[in-house]
Amino acid sequence: MSTERRSDMNTRTSHIASHAAAAGAAGLAAMAVPAVHAAGSDEIRVGLLGCGGRGSGAVRNCLDADPSVVVVALADLFPEKARRLRDALMKDPKYKGRVRVPDDAMFGGFDCHEKLVKTDTHLLLMATAPAFRPWQMMAAIQAGKHVFTEKPVATDVTGCRLFIEASRLAEQKKLSIVAGTQRRHEFNRVELMKRIHDGAIGELVGGQCYWYGGGIWYRGYEEGMSELEWQCHNWYHFTWLSGDQVVEQHIHNIDVLNWCFNGPPKLFTAVGGRGVRDYSEQAKQVAAKLGKPNDWAKYNGDIWDHIVAEMEYPNGARCLSFCGHGPGTHRNGEKIVGTKGSSDCSGRIMDLEGKVVWQYQGQMVNGQLQEHVDLIRSIRAGSPLNEGVRIGESTLTAIGIRIAAYTGQSVSWEWLMKGSKNQLVPDPSQWKPGPGVFHPIATGADPLV
Amino acid sequence: MSRSKRWSRRRFLARSVSTVGGLAATTLAPRVGWTAASPTIRVGVIGCGGRGTGAANDCVEAGGDGVKIVALADVFADRLNNLKQKYNVPEQRCFVGLNAYKELLALSDVDMVILATPPGFRPIHFAAAVEAGKHIFAEKPVAVCAAGIRMMLEAAKKSEEKKLCVVAGTQRRHDPKYVETIQRIRDGMIGPIVSAQCYWNQGGLWVRKREPNMTDLEWQLRNWLYFVWLSGDHIVEQHVHNIDVINWAFGTLPDQVHALGGRQYRVQPEYGNIYDHFGTEFFYPGDVRTISMCRQIDKSAGRVSERVVGTKGVTTFDGRIRDHAGNVLWEYKGPSVNPYVQEHRNLLAAMRGGTYINEARQVTESTLCAIMARESAYTRQQMNRKWFMERCDLNLLPPPDLKLTDPVPVAPVAIPGKYQLAGLVQEKKGK
Repeated sequence: MSTERRSDMNTRTSHIASHAAAAGAAGLAAMAVPAVHAAGSDEIRVGLLGCGGRGSGAVRNCLDADPSVVVVALADLFPEKARRLRDALMKDPKYKGRVRVPDDAMFGGFDCHEKLVKTDTHLLLMATAPAFRPWQMMAAIQAGKHVFTEKPVATDVTGCRLFIEASRLAEQKKLSIVAGTQRRHEFNRVELMKRIHDGAIGELVGGQCYWYGGGIWYRGYEEGMSELEWQCHNWYHFTWLSGDQVVEQHIHNIDVLNWCFNGPPKLFTAVGGRGVRDYSEQAKQVAAKLGKPNDWAKYNGDIWDHIVAEMEYPNGARCLSFCGHGPGTHRNGEKIVGTKGSSDCSGRIMDLEGKVVWQYQGQMVNGQLQEHVDLIRSIRAGSPLNEGVRIGESTLTAIGIRIAAYTGQSVSWEWLMKGSKNQLVPDPSQWKPGPGVFHPIATGADPLV
Repeated sequence: MSRSKRWSRRRFLARSVSTVGGLAATTLAPRVGWTAASPTIRVGVIGCGGRGTGAANDCVEAGGDGVKIVALADVFADRLNNLKQKYNVPEQRCFVGLNAYKELLALSDVDMVILATPPGFRPIHFAAAVEAGKHIFAEKPVAVCAAGIRMMLEAAKKSEEKKLCVVAGTQRRHDPKYVETIQRIRDGMIGPIVSAQCYWNQGGLWVRKREPNMTDLEWQLRNWLYFVWLSGDHIVEQHVHNIDVINWAFGTLPDQVHALGGRQYRVQPEYGNIYDHFGTEFFYPGDVRTISMCRQIDKSAGRVSERVVGTKGVTTFDGRIRDHAGNVLWEYKGPSVNPYVQEHRNLLAAMRGGTYINEARQVTESTLCAIMARESAYTRQQMNRKWFMERCDLNLLPPPDLKLTDPVPVAPVAIPGKYQLAGLVQEKKGK
């Protein structure tokens, strides 16, 4: 089920599956962490927000990352998801004694994060649909929690700004924030990026990133849900909840290019649309169950199925972003091009003739485990690792592409940071069981807000 | 008529056209066209709409008294009136109907023809003009399908054998600002090319709604931009200009292409079956990847340009080459030239015994790249040029016996996953 929440997991796994377990363990053994063996004060008490596929993956990664991690609180919009996860974790002999979640530390409802931040926890893992994350993050930072946050961290510009504000507050409070863009924690990429930043391929003058893949799940209506709850259950299909695929998924690849350039682009131009996504049959079933059989079209979702964008970076380099879901040739990856060579952004550097001049030969690690290892190490060492502003910027980069595509306008970074009033997520006071929030499918010439 | 039925019928026709063409070449003596001894180059215009009229005017501006518009052909009488009056073309030299081009090409005193009908007809008209021994100004694009590309390549070869001069309406090739920039790229000023981009993003173009008295074909011809079999879609019809510049800069063609596109904004029936946006990646030899983007959406941000990036410098064909620090390495200081007129000057000069010029192959190749990108977007399949040339059976050429009253249903808009590209066996993947 992990593919449901983090649809890249299969791809990631297929790349490094054979290394994952061994390398993760080796990484731990090699880690110089003082006094982690005893219980008590050495424990890192963890709470999880969002107990779906990705949340249950993240909490396991966190447990695997360090033996002193204990899970003490679980929260989800749907409390039964939290219960199911607790049961599953407690049944796993690997985590014996480390899952200690009493009934009164299980929270449900749209305000479950508010209850979660009041628990006696060090670290919160955030893995709900991204729409709510900026507020969840602000609450967590204000409560003094370290945070692991899944990507993306917002779905609209206003949310990104709030997230970045929370991240800056975390800097002041010396809290760690690590984001689920696991490529940043893979040793091969880290070593490669050092070389790119040191000029191994010269000045960066071009690049490409891709995530064009197969379709996604569609979740039907379940008894007792309000329309909004069903929408949150089936969140990927609504831009205000997921950010659209460019934000929800392709952010991984966009983030790699931002990493190459050490910052976000300055200008976005994009085209795209919705040509093949069709969930009419499922949408009609949902409509029937909600008692609105004639109103089914909106349950089909509003996200697009393809966007092709150009991102222009501050040094003038123009890079391609290419993403979507549907039939045809599937692609996932990145390439960066410099005046002296190019790189696959994974572990190889080529000269201008295409000859491999450097290849990573060190240890491979599972990035989704390593990100937790790095986070816990930073907490333990008292030297916060704060990726908040960076993941906020990469989220905003992807949102910039989406806005450029939805409106047909070229959009600048400066305008995104200062001018845009783009806000899709309703105010938290509106987060309660009731009617859903529906926006029309973007036309490609929507007003720029 | 289903697509596959239409296709199989058309494939047969395309084969017979080529065969007839081949026979004709061996049985008819090549026509002796214009010779240096004649004082005036006599020009026929096939396709007298906006572009044909523009090209005729540019030709006259380029040639002055040395050229004369002497014959006109169009499917519709009302379309050739402007040129008829402006250049006093006699009634008996104005031909109307779907076969008007044949009558014009049969005139032995026409030295050169301007081919400016909707591009779906171009391969047939071009091949016929070559058979008739005419020098040619061919508007871009020159085909809309694989069969048309093959027909064009064959005819292009024949035109070279017959030493016919051919210039294509990719006017950037005749703009000294471009020509000199490309020369410096060839000379190595920007180093090897490592990245490039090209764009044709704009608002909408004109559209003709169907009127009650119009037949299928009349409406489609008068509204030809919006039907794939006539225009090739806007990536072929318009963006080919920019794709051509990138091909020119590389001096070679892309091996592969992968595109996404759709019809998101312009969905009304008067817009036929073309898309309103494409985002494309071309792969040139050495895995150099380029961006191509084109859009026709009202109120959207415009951008029509090309940019080529080398290891040592960059140009946007604005008359400057810069290094990566932004310093100007070279600046075009020559006169500003109207390339739409210049292309005719160059053609006329070649006909008068100057440097031989034949752009048929090059414009066909750039047209091919645009068609491949379109088909890649329609299928979302990465396209390989070798495959496309050898295996793609897409044939949208009109049958030779086409009549204005024939029923011509509008093919459905291409939906990736449902759209069938003739010759392509698609794996079932995704949803």
